[in-house]
Amino acid sequence: MVALVFETFLVVLLACIIGLFFLGLARKITARIHWRYGPPVYQPVIDIIKLFNQTSMSHGVLFELGILISLAGSVVVLLFLPFARICPLSSSGGLLVVLYLMLISPLGLALSGGESANPNVSIGISRKFLLAFGYEVPLLLILLAVMTHYDTISLSEIANKQISSGWSLFQLPLILSGIAYILILPAVLGLRPFEMIQAPQEISSGPYAEYSGKFLAFAMIQHAFDLFIGISLFVNLFLGGAGNMGYFFIKMIIVLIIMIFVNAVFPRFRIEQAIRYLWTWPASLAFAGLIIVLVVN
Amino acid sequence: MNPEIILAVAFGGALITYLSGKISKRIRDVVAVAFSLSLVAIVAVFYNSESQNVFSPGFLDFPIVIRIDDLSWLFAVIISVIGSLSVIFSLNYIRNRGNTDFFYSMLLLVIASMTGIILSGDLLSFYLFWEIMSWSTFLLISYNRGPAIAAGIKYIVMSVSGSLAMLVGIISLYANYETLVINELAAFLGQASSGYIIFIMVLFFAGFGIKNAIWPLHVWLPPAHSEAPSPFSAVLSGVLIKMGTYGIFLLIFVIIQINIFFNLGKGLLSPRYVIAIIGAITIIIPTFIALVQDDAKRLLAWSTIAQAGYIVLGISYCTSESVAGGLFHFFNHALFKALLFMTVGAVEYRTGGVRDLNSLGGLIKKMPVTFLGALIGVCGLIGVPLTNGFVSKWLIYKTLIINDSPFLAFAALFGTWGTILYSYKLLHNIFLGQLPEQFRNIKKAPFSMQLPIVLLSIPVVLFGVLPGVPLKIINNIQSDLGLDALNISLWGVVSDTGTINLFNIIAAILLIFIIIWLLFKSSKRPANVDQYDNYAAGAAVPVNKYNYTVNFFDPVYSKIIRYLKDFADVFYLWLALCIERAGNGIRRIYSGDVGYYVIYIVLFMALLILIQINRALW
Repeated sequence: MVALVFETFLVVLLACIIGLFFLGLARKITARIHWRYGPPVYQPVIDIIKLFNQTSMSHGVLFELGILISLAGSVVVLLFLPFARICPLSSSGGLLVVLYLMLISPLGLALSGGESANPNVSIGISRKFLLAFGYEVPLLLILLAVMTHYDTISLSEIANKQISSGWSLFQLPLILSGIAYILILPAVLGLRPFEMIQAPQEISSGPYAEYSGKFLAFAMIQHAFDLFIGISLFVNLFLGGAGNMGYFFIKMIIVLIIMIFVNAVFPRFRIEQAIRYLWTWPASLAFAGLIIVLVVN
Repeated sequence: MNPEIILAVAFGGALITYLSGKISKRIRDVVAVAFSLSLVAIVAVFYNSESQNVFSPGFLDFPIVIRIDDLSWLFAVIISVIGSLSVIFSLNYIRNRGNTDFFYSMLLLVIASMTGIILSGDLLSFYLFWEIMSWSTFLLISYNRGPAIAAGIKYIVMSVSGSLAMLVGIISLYANYETLVINELAAFLGQASSGYIIFIMVLFFAGFGIKNAIWPLHVWLPPAHSEAPSPFSAVLSGVLIKMGTYGIFLLIFVIIQINIFFNLGKGLLSPRYVIAIIGAITIIIPTFIALVQDDAKRLLAWSTIAQAGYIVLGISYCTSESVAGGLFHFFNHALFKALLFMTVGAVEYRTGGVRDLNSLGGLIKKMPVTFLGALIGVCGLIGVPLTNGFVSKWLIYKTLIINDSPFLAFAALFGTWGTILYSYKLLHNIFLGQLPEQFRNIKKAPFSMQLPIVLLSIPVVLFGVLPGVPLKIINNIQSDLGLDALNISLWGVVSDTGTINLFNIIAAILLIFIIIWLLFKSSKRPANVDQYDNYAAGAAVPVNKYNYTVNFFDPVYSKIIRYLKDFADVFYLWLALCIERAGNGIRRIYSGDVGYYVIYIVLFMALLILIQINRALW
């Protein structure tokens, strides 16, 4: 029991540090690609401390609770994701529960944003849900292919099996699914060319438009966790998980850097273009992948 | 105790309510509530009891069998609970309308006939109660007049065609086996050829499928659910369409029996897969159509069809986990869908009949309890962890994945993501966003509406955290029917292929939420601001215009809407038109002019004489 609580806090703390470090790193790398100097890597930490000390405005009880629910939802997902070998709640429902727990965070954000009564926020949320609707088609097909291939719904078991049998990405039946996952990863992480949810130039940061002070700080921490979760899920499913934390971290950071390169050079899709893209190439690759897995089985 | 006492209370209640309405409205309200509540109490007494009574000679020399077992008990509880809450909800909703005596007695009659269906142990009484239910439902759907009449007619035409198909099946069974008692039929059908079993299944499935609104037999449901009075929509969606589910369940597991059904046909062409695939289609198509609805009740109606797809998929897939999931989802859906219809009804009542999602907004500040009910209902509908819908859907997904049917699992999972979209639209457009000026002075829902909403919200959360309670009853049903029982703890389901433990999930969420909440509370308090104190790029916020509700998912609407025609509906309308034209053609023969009739008679005689001369038949 004590070990469980200790593991829980360890995972959450590490994820928070790594997520914030990723946010800072992303800004730095993007700046260098743009030939700017860029802020220091620890800039997000400075921002959060600053935001906690600023005055904030609230639109009601749900506005406050929603962002807390959203953050709690993100943190809970962490307990189900194996971080190297650590996975505090590995035996409580597996990948299906992870999929469902990943709903809580956007739902909380949407409820909170809804009460702020700002159309920019509503547009952002509607785009967020539509984008999720778009990438869930290939994502679900990919996850089903993985679960059918390993014949389990437990995420830690999938990660463990790869340690003995090699990365899923390079196993014959799962190659197409892996490629499809790489194609939709920017959408899962909310990076360009799928950044229409925030789109600062047209809908003033979308769901975050009404947040100020500590609400913005919470939203930023939640964003950091989301980045961590999105990359960690990919690493666990396709890049073989890892036996120790350092190796896991290196895998994550490589995925992140590639995604930042994509983010830095691409313009933004409109939402309907994004959905058309997601439902054609990645979805058909994932579909073919699932059929191959079924045939091989 | 004998199970007939339930029927006596149920039908007696309907009659006495009508008569007491002639004395005083107030007495009638009390009588209606008292009878519906006493029905709940009496049904509850029968927990875990099994008894059967044969009345012979019953009706038309057929024996009438009234029985109760675990399966009927589960359905009876849901029917009586949703029914009585709906009666309480009606108290204010229907008060200032005409024909209220009629409304209450019909509502109680529908409830009574549904109890009759699930308590009857022979197909004749089953059919009689089924017809009483169909006709009284028709009268209630049309209660509002106007477009409701057309909706009612659509319902009754489809319903009658379904029950006629069922009647053919019943007659065929009687002609072959000379009995209509379900248990005896089950023994006979064990030896029947598989062709005959499929023939019987198709006939019964037509009747049950129409009631359960399975695609492509669903077309009556959206207009009927949206035009009926809201408390009755709750009954309609919560329990009435589940009579179709009960029928399918009875057909597969009691009349035909699981081991025969499981081995019927081969591969993808076996009835098991065909029904499961129809269930999957029933999830996907209505989910998409629900996305583009602008009428709150119509949106919920399409969502009802989609959720019925989950139940059918679970039941027909026939593994013990999927059947448990299907039955549990039936139970959950009755709770949260009745809850959602009641919240929409409360909003409709307070805003003077507005259910257009484009003209509402911001009601959370005015009707907080109703909002909370809607939020919990929507969470159950999506299946957010810690609500009951999560556990039932988890069971269905898991068994589909483990048994290598990923495409069925994909349909079910993808349907859930569609559900998020339309249910958030429902919440946002009614309760969130800017409050329009004309609703500034709206009052919160009256107590008689808040009470059912609160009472229905509690079990949605409670059984989401403690799924072991209803799953234990479902386990009893399963072991009665020859399925393997699940290994159930109070907090979840245990198995080798995947365990779910909600205690861990709720403990983790609560712990983390409390820490975050303390962090939130310990920092500076935020200042509360009005909805007009808002970011508008430096300009003043325009009153009544600063809202985003119309075409909430706009960019995708315009792309997908042309694929979302309800082709089944178009086909049925075309069929109706053809029949009407044919009828018109035949009508011309009977012109009403005696001269024509004389000519018909003469021509007919001439024809007979011609035949006689040529063939000499007589």
